[in-house]
Amino acid sequence: MSAQIPISTFKPYQGEKARLARAYDYLILVLALFLFIGSFHLHFALTVGDWDFWVDWKDRQWWPLVTPLIGITFPAAVQAVLWDKFRLPLGATLCVAALLIGTWVTRVFAYHYWNYFPINMVLPATMIPGALVLDTLLMLTNSLTVTSIFGGAAFALLFYPTNWPIFGMFHQAVEVANSQLTVADLFGFQYIRTGMPEYLRIIERGTLRTYGQYATPLSAFCSALLCSLMYPLWWHIGKWFASTRYLTKI
Amino acid sequence: MKTHFKTWLLALIALTVMSGLPLSSAQAHGEKALEPFIRMRTIQWYDVQWSTQKFNVNEEVSVSGKFHVAEDWPISVPKPEASFLNISTPGPVLIRTERYLNGKPWTNSVALQPGGDYDFKVVLKGRLPGRYHIHPFFNLKDAGQVMGPGVWLEIGGEPGDFSNTIKTINGEMIDMESFGFANGVFWHLFWGALAAAWLLWWVRRPLFISRYRMLDAGLEHELITPQDKLIAKLVLVGVPVLVLVLNAVTANRYPDAIPLQAGLDQILPLPAQVNAGTVNVDTLKAEYNVSKRSMVLQVKVDNRSQGAVRIGEFASSNVHFMNADVTNVGYIPGRDDVSNNGLSLDNVAPIEPGEQRTVSIEVRDAAWESERLDGLIRDADSRVGGLLFLYDDVMGKRYISSISAAVIPKFI
Ligand SMILES: [Cu+2]
Repeated sequence: MSAQIPISTFKPYQGEKARLARAYDYLILVLALFLFIGSFHLHFALTVGDWDFWVDWKDRQWWPLVTPLIGITFPAAVQAVLWDKFRLPLGATLCVAALLIGTWVTRVFAYHYWNYFPINMVLPATMIPGALVLDTLLMLTNSLTVTSIFGGAAFALLFYPTNWPIFGMFHQAVEVANSQLTVADLFGFQYIRTGMPEYLRIIERGTLRTYGQYATPLSAFCSALLCSLMYPLWWHIGKWFASTRYLTKI
Repeated sequence: MKTHFKTWLLALIALTVMSGLPLSSAQAHGEKALEPFIRMRTIQWYDVQWSTQKFNVNEEVSVSGKFHVAEDWPISVPKPEASFLNISTPGPVLIRTERYLNGKPWTNSVALQPGGDYDFKVVLKGRLPGRYHIHPFFNLKDAGQVMGPGVWLEIGGEPGDFSNTIKTINGEMIDMESFGFANGVFWHLFWGALAAAWLLWWVRRPLFISRYRMLDAGLEHELITPQDKLIAKLVLVGVPVLVLVLNAVTANRYPDAIPLQAGLDQILPLPAQVNAGTVNVDTLKAEYNVSKRSMVLQVKVDNRSQGAVRIGEFASSNVHFMNADVTNVGYIPGRDDVSNNGLSLDNVAPIEPGEQRTVSIEVRDAAWESERLDGLIRDADSRVGGLLFLYDDVMGKRYISSISAAVIPKFI
């Protein structure tokens, strides 16, 4: 950092100035929260979409691949700004928490009250543990490389085990129509979605089945690799965004 | 500037909420949306009936019927290799409890065979009171939705009367309306509390301006204290360990969990019901008179049955054009069916056994226009299709032919 101000001459704000600075903090925080609730949630709904909406889309192959990959984008960009400029290690947690608030609001109002779906059919998934790991790792190492490789990987690998306590119970088998379905599949059959026949679900499709039953770990490792690449990409997007827009105003 | 920002923010929030809307509300009712040649020459519905149109929440209702998959399936429409019999509803105001194709229970999609005959039954249960326009319809992969006939259903009673309990393979009874909800909320609150604690730990201090100035002044070491580092280390190790432990506990609790099921069902067509060979109908020519709104079909009927037959009905895209002389033996339209007495013949005498006769059938009604079937003559694929019903009054038999022909428009 620039050494133009000698340490001895640095004076923290006091009195009115400190109060104004604090008010500014809250203003920025509230605006940022709304901005992230809106934009991250929109970004997520448009990209992850159905995998995140419906309990019978949360498969062992695409869901753990796609969700962390998109989920790491905003956290990386916001971390780049908050850590680099302010040494605030909370960018990822803030983004993921904002995403969850937005998601819960939509699930309750748009899905449940407006379209009558039971909320348990559209329960959100959480990425908070992965975000906490990203924030603390960045803070402790102060390294983009280490956070990309290990933080990105942890974000992807932790996703499925984090959510299994929420969704595992929906994978119990039910005997329906002379075949076995999961409880989640039964939701899809019973609670009618007119635009969503069974064949439109993108689950259990593709070539990720080389190792037979081990679809989930394979997907998670694939996602870990991609997240390690996605993280620095969005870190730089965040930096570019910050240097051209926000900081000129401060 | 500020108010500008506010509107922008509001718009963003509104967009966010809307972006999460499920597909169902966006596409309200596509009954006449597809081109006529697709509606007439893909899934040809008939005998569709509802067990009742007025019932209460938690009561069952069923819709049953038959359909023929047209032989003359349009070349521009992908073949029905994955098809799903659905019910058009404004959200799950009803739930689907059972569904049968040719008597076999089915839950997934199925490959239909052009030329095949099928019968179906869907059992539904009322969930939310109201009056709804409901259709059975087919989702055809890559092709769209082909609607069956629509009816008005009136669901009475209270939403609270609804219950939906099912039994898992382990014998546990679960309530689908609330299953897993409290558990899910618990875990979201649990992780949410942890996230909130971490955020508050930082947010309680002076943030942006002062931290930016201090960092600028080279006071980085004061921004992250040893205590912060200790807590971060605990989080970094503790959170992944906790995640793995909780995952293991859950895996232990549900050892028999299976992946989501994604297969297709295999159900073969019934023995031929339509074009069964006893009474053959061959379409020679079709002319549509635009100003008279009438389709004239020239068909050659070859009656190889034991009795005399009469042409009683032409049905296409859920419109029933009836022959008034034959309606007493034929199909009786349901309350909400679209039907008219627009069918007439140039020769009303029954076609005798063994007789081959070329008949000119005039199908004349405003329904061609109101149901938007007349758009056919301006389509790239302007072939008409539909089912022709012939009746043997004496033996009480019905013969059905799926007919198709290119249409020639007549403007005077
Ligand atoms: Cu309708």
